[in-house]
Amino acid sequence: MTTDTIARPEQRPAPRRRERASSHRQTRATTVTGLLLLAPAIIAVLGLAIIPILLVARNSFAESNVYGGITGGFTLENYAHLLDPVYAKVLGYSLGMALLNTVVCLAVGYVVSYYIVSRPPTRQSLLLLLIIVPFWIDFLVRTFAWISVLGRGGPVFGVLDALGVDTAQLSLVPSQGAVVMGLLYAFLPTAIFPIYASMRAIDPSVKEAAADLGCGWWQTHFRVLMPLSSTGIVAAAMLTFIPTLGVFVIPVLLGGGKDQLVGNLIVTLYTEFRNQPMGAAVSMMLLVLMLLAMAVAGLIARRGRKKVA
Amino acid sequence: MDRVTSWIARLVLVFLYVPIVAVIVYSFNAASGGYRWTGFSFRWYGELFGDTALLQTLATSAVVGVLAASVATVIGLLAAIGLVRYPVKGSGVVLGAIVLPLIVPEIVLGVALLSVFSFLHVPLGILTLVLGHLIITLPLTTLIMVGAFRTLDPSLIEAAADLGCTPWRTFTRVLFPLMRSSIIAAWLLAFTVSLGNIVISTFVSGVGSTTMPLRVYSLLKSGLTPELNALGTLLIVLTFVVVLSVGIQQMRRILASPSGPAPAPERTTAPR
Repeated sequence: MTTDTIARPEQRPAPRRRERASSHRQTRATTVTGLLLLAPAIIAVLGLAIIPILLVARNSFAESNVYGGITGGFTLENYAHLLDPVYAKVLGYSLGMALLNTVVCLAVGYVVSYYIVSRPPTRQSLLLLLIIVPFWIDFLVRTFAWISVLGRGGPVFGVLDALGVDTAQLSLVPSQGAVVMGLLYAFLPTAIFPIYASMRAIDPSVKEAAADLGCGWWQTHFRVLMPLSSTGIVAAAMLTFIPTLGVFVIPVLLGGGKDQLVGNLIVTLYTEFRNQPMGAAVSMMLLVLMLLAMAVAGLIARRGRKKVA
Repeated sequence: MDRVTSWIARLVLVFLYVPIVAVIVYSFNAASGGYRWTGFSFRWYGELFGDTALLQTLATSAVVGVLAASVATVIGLLAAIGLVRYPVKGSGVVLGAIVLPLIVPEIVLGVALLSVFSFLHVPLGILTLVLGHLIITLPLTTLIMVGAFRTLDPSLIEAAADLGCTPWRTFTRVLFPLMRSSIIAAWLLAFTVSLGNIVISTFVSGVGSTTMPLRVYSLLKSGLTPELNALGTLLIVLTFVVVLSVGIQQMRRILASPSGPAPAPERTTAPR
């Protein structure tokens, strides 16, 4: 999707410009104007994203004093520490949680996208709006809302009591289940949109053709519709898996803070232990995982498209 | 089977609104603790407006939000004009770089900003918050305006130039009026993202510049109070107003179109 974004701006007005800008001087003026207009954005991205990330990369190889301050030098020790049981445990739990959340989000996101696509266009807009609104609501509000929904005396307990379930020993929040629920709630809209976008592009006659050729419901989905929307599914997986690793609010508010995600680890290292080099190493690990996931996602998307073609 | 999936989808839509309804309902609950309904009351709104510490953080967030959204909108608009009207070699790379903060995990960006600010000995405060929020809202404002620009008929601008308009006059009399709704949409969405941001703020806020989400987060660590439900309700209303005024078409362009990557929350905006 990014290649599309990148390719387009050069195409449209460019030829027309060139025709009109007959003299060499005018072309140069155009270039200068273009660069001047882009300059503030370039400065912002360089100064506030690219250079800072490079600094984190540098810090991850730095030695530190007993207070966690950076003393310069070059060491691989910070990365070696990532294998310590404390860090390995967080990493294992995070990868497990992120995988679980991705699978759940994709499954639910696929079903919801399929539902939306099969509605008439005007209904589709309304349904999309219904999904967008919660996405824009303050993240903390969306998260703490679950405390009152799942809390003792809240609606879920009310239903359980009415059903005659013994709730005396039950605690829904904080719990692992609440974390899973909170993550699903946070990431579901992000997962639905790319899947919906690629599913909408599928010609409806494809589904009919599959049915005519004797495909059952499951076959139509697994053999035809899923591969055809693989671009969106892979994008949704990307937008769910890596960001889940970096979450730190949900495990604290809904999980009681016992089990940490990589995000919690980074926050703790930076704001409590003030161990910048170690925090930098964990951050770089997250970045490398992201690049790996992007590479894998690219491969899967390409193979998915080939299979159908 | 389609009927089963349809019912699942409808249940999911309900699931999306259960917590929102819960926050609104509980904000009017008279009970001072627990989640049992004891009666209707405006008491928690009163408490909220009497909580000067919380209101102070809300003011900080509003200032940061207005500044970050305004700067991001201006830079985004300039970049969009540059990218669409004056494409140069490598402008594709520039757009890719602008969108980068949507792809990099937000927490890594937060850490990176903290590192660079401490390296340069920039004191953490309003300035660092604005810069931090600027970099995560810039992709959003730029994408919205690039999208709006592409749908604009370039002959309108050329006609203005042919009729003797200077570039500045073309901008103020033709371009700006045509882009007004997109500019407003970009600003509102950037403001919303800034107002709710917690990840970047965790790293770049200073002692006297606690933002509202940071304050709410630290309050929540000792438990949910009905006062926070009242605050949540006001934020929910604000979001409804923003999203409905921005409109579904604009939202679809940002989120669903294949030409613009969906925000990572984090996003953004998005989850953290």
